[in-house]
Amino acid sequence: MSNRHLFLVPKFITTPSQNGVGRYVCQLQRVVLKFCKNNGGSRGMREFIEHDLINYTKDNPGTVVYLKPRRHRGPVICAEYLNGEKQSIFCNNFSCEEIAKWLNLLLTQSGNHEGTRLRKMWHTENPSVQGPWTPYTFRDPTLNLAKFPNVDLSTPLSCPKTATEHLLELFEKQKNEKFENEKLD
Amino acid sequence: MAASLLNNLKLLTQKTAILASKTSLNAIIPGRGIKRWVAPTLRELEKRRKRMGPQQPNPRSSFLEWNYDAELYSFGKRLGEEFKTNLLQKAFTHRSYVIQRELTGNLTETFEDNSDLITEGDSVILKSIRQQYVRYPEEIVDAVCNYLMTNKMLAHVAFYLGTKDIVLTAEFPAEEETLANTFKAIVGALNRSTSEDRAHVFVSDFLICQLNGKDIYEVWDPKNPYDILKQLVGREIEPRLCNESASNTILANYQVGLYDNRQLLGIGWGESVEIAKETAAMHAIKKLYNF
Repeated sequence: MSNRHLFLVPKFITTPSQNGVGRYVCQLQRVVLKFCKNNGGSRGMREFIEHDLINYTKDNPGTVVYLKPRRHRGPVICAEYLNGEKQSIFCNNFSCEEIAKWLNLLLTQSGNHEGTRLRKMWHTENPSVQGPWTPYTFRDPTLNLAKFPNVDLSTPLSCPKTATEHLLELFEKQKNEKFENEKLD
Repeated sequence: MAASLLNNLKLLTQKTAILASKTSLNAIIPGRGIKRWVAPTLRELEKRRKRMGPQQPNPRSSFLEWNYDAELYSFGKRLGEEFKTNLLQKAFTHRSYVIQRELTGNLTETFEDNSDLITEGDSVILKSIRQQYVRYPEEIVDAVCNYLMTNKMLAHVAFYLGTKDIVLTAEFPAEEETLANTFKAIVGALNRSTSEDRAHVFVSDFLICQLNGKDIYEVWDPKNPYDILKQLVGREIEPRLCNESASNTILANYQVGLYDNRQLLGIGWGESVEIAKETAAMHAIKKLYNF
């Protein structure tokens, strides 16, 4: 993470109000296209309104589109989502295609995600399906019938050889070798 | 270029010094961008704004770009339902709004309020929840109904349908109860506009789906799960102590399994055998109904 993320709000991926569990509802409820009728900066916006807006509204009847012409002000797209959030995009000198792309982005978003940083690209409320480990998980069932105190169960699980035992073993081996050599002679 | 400009400036300053010593800087530099009065004015405005305190939010319907008919049309389309326009408008008109209009005296058209749609929607919602959970015991269905029919839950659902701005009430912003009633009225309106089946699908898609990812015991708090399980199974259950650890200490832990005819029904933990039995019963109920 670099320093430019310091002022971003960290968030997880969420769905507003279980959207898509029953049926999917487009979260963009209304959009206001503000533009100037003569300024050159609004040219792309005017083109979009002339050529593509009718199709856009026909494809998305769930979104209310308002047009707001205003003199000598830059073109702006103001979006309002179902969760009450608002987002405005200043689109001075944007082409018709660019405006169509931005509007498509607003349609597919669930809210205003400006100034946020996703902590993870995935999120789950149930991180473990099998549940947490307990002392009883994978426990040997024979232990249920064991009587305590128990000699076998009281010994440590691993007893490595001590140095004395190791030496004794070596001595035995040496002795055996000597004995066999004498036999051969 | 720069040298000539400098010379000009020098000349100008000399001239001004000679001609009129009282002329201001703004007069000398003709194209000054931000005037001297701007900053103090803004400062004063900010001071006044702070003195006034935070402003009340304006209702969206008071904006210039607002078309109620378009909003109503989009509302139906957004949810993928075919509402009758007059019924939908009626569903959004609350009694308080009608009274307010009558008192102000600008009642141009006759408004019908949604009281009858609310009662109708209420019964439709309850019926559809009961229909959905038909194979579950009565106690669980009651708990689910109580959970889903709270004002908070219904208002949450109504808010995310986009009713907040369209609803016609006297108060602003709309209260929780008003939004909850709006949802009921919408269901009632859908019931009248299309069919009861359609209304049931609507309720299950928007209200019952709120149970997604919820544990049944977040919704339902059984008092004696062991007795309830005995009733549900209808036979005697055999509880067995499967594991225990650290007994006679403060960290004692017991694991109890409930068996019915040598079949494990459920298993649970607890700091005493009794508590472990109850948790095991809760687990068994969960397994029995596939929650």
